[in-house]
Amino acid sequence: MTSASFSIPAVPRRGDASRRFGWLMVAPCLAMLAANSIFPLIYVMTVAFQNYQILIPAPHRFVGLRNFEKAFSDPLFWSSLGVTCWFIAGVVLLQFPVGFGLAVLLNRLRRHQEALATALLVPTIISTSVAAFQWVQLFNYQFGPLNYLLGLMHLPQPTWTANPALALPCLIFVDFWQWTPFMTLLMFAGLRSLPRTIVDAARVDGSTGWQVVWRIYLPLLKPVIGIAIILRILMAFKLFDIIYVLTNGGPGTATENLAFFTYVQGFVYFNMGYAAALSLLQLIVVIILAKALISLTGRAGAVAAKE
Amino acid sequence: MKRAGLTLADFLTYAALSLAIVVFLAPVVWMLITAVKPPDEWLTTPPVLIPSELHWANFTDALITWGGAKGLRDSLIVASLSTALSLVFGVPAAYALGRFKTGGENLSFTVLSILFMPPVAVAIPMYLFWSALGLLDSYTALILQYTVFNLPFIAWVLKSFFEDIPREMEESALVNGATRWRAFWEIAVPLARPAILAVGLLAFIFSWNEFFFALILTRANVTTLPFILPVLMEGHDILWGDIAAIATLGALPVVILAFALQKYLVRGLSFGTVRE
Repeated sequence: MTSASFSIPAVPRRGDASRRFGWLMVAPCLAMLAANSIFPLIYVMTVAFQNYQILIPAPHRFVGLRNFEKAFSDPLFWSSLGVTCWFIAGVVLLQFPVGFGLAVLLNRLRRHQEALATALLVPTIISTSVAAFQWVQLFNYQFGPLNYLLGLMHLPQPTWTANPALALPCLIFVDFWQWTPFMTLLMFAGLRSLPRTIVDAARVDGSTGWQVVWRIYLPLLKPVIGIAIILRILMAFKLFDIIYVLTNGGPGTATENLAFFTYVQGFVYFNMGYAAALSLLQLIVVIILAKALISLTGRAGAVAAKE
Repeated sequence: MKRAGLTLADFLTYAALSLAIVVFLAPVVWMLITAVKPPDEWLTTPPVLIPSELHWANFTDALITWGGAKGLRDSLIVASLSTALSLVFGVPAAYALGRFKTGGENLSFTVLSILFMPPVAVAIPMYLFWSALGLLDSYTALILQYTVFNLPFIAWVLKSFFEDIPREMEESALVNGATRWRAFWEIAVPLARPAILAVGLLAFIFSWNEFFFALILTRANVTTLPFILPVLMEGHDILWGDIAAIATLGALPVVILAFALQKYLVRGLSFGTVRE
């Protein structure tokens, strides 16, 4: 992005032709995207202000902000928002520090870095369905290896995802397991892009390993860290699959996040207007986060261009 | 750097990374073990760590009795066709966004927002959309749906690659009378081949793994592997070994692809935000 503002087109007379060619190249892609985004957007923006329910016959009435008022006075909305926040807290407080630590360690290796990074990535790249099966096995109350090991140590054997107090921590852990390697990968790529000379100079000055991490890696990687965290927050915000397959939102509503709550309203209770209003709220949050991400990406590009 | 072979820091590094490998791969290994266990070792106390025999019949049961073969076939059809379509539409768009700044920052931003649109928010309208076209439970709907999910990802990641390719070669080709299409197709695309491979790989992995829209848009006609797995996990008499075999078949292709193309994985997965 920074490079563009300084480069002078070699063939300025062709500027208009370039513009036309550019639009021609984007057009097919935009047409495809429009079908999937403009139509849903129009749908959501209309229905969110109607009393559209499967049980209420058409025509649906315009009800203003009533669906939004309903959300703000609905305890289930707030509790689902709380669950979403817990997943985001898991990203920031668990996935980032562990992911960063693993990246620093990976960066210390002299060989097999990429093979090891790829091996760690297996939880990230397999389907959530497959991952969920693995955890159903491990969390099995009666025959699971986890409870067997706890039994050997004479510790209590919980029912894991069936326990209202433990279900959410279990899911946060599964999300940690699935996505921390992805965090590691981003940080590792960032570490490798740092000029070696800076680290070597610090070593010559007698900095210890910790000082290198605190005074060099963390400040220099700030843009990458920001990007990684926002990227993962965006993904955690729309998390659905693992909840559906492992707990189906339960026990009760203990693991219903905002996305799952919206799904229940739309696909189980057919409260179309309410679900659309909830969707609209989520779209607004995503647009704000995406804006933050794009401004950070611009700055990260500037850092890379300076090298 | 100290000359003594293994410093304490080195030792701790190896220890921590080994622990990480154990934590992150143990569930995967447990699935692989279950997939080859004979039925009487599926549910035992204590759990069987090393099966008494390699019971490959789980795989034949999974493939034939539980629809694994059709699942594999459907997943392959949907994933490969949607990947191909995504590249056909996405690569030229990424080139235009990166090279000509078509639509400026606003268009790039719109593409990025679409990339992160919560699936739940578009699920109902898209369900109505495909149902109005009479395409529920069809390959067409799933392939096109995954294509539109892959497109913003491909456009966004490849855009940064095209920005990083020096434009001099394309410009000299233009000066020498080549059309813009030839400058794109014969110069820029070959230079971006590793990146195209990377995003293609990730588009394939995404489509192969996708669960939510398979759940909403398909029933009995199109049954991809991620879709049939949770169905088999319901109920009381869970056939652990057979399901583990299906899950293994679902995981194997993407893991093999990832290892074979590991060089390309990093930049593709980092969404083009981290530039090496």
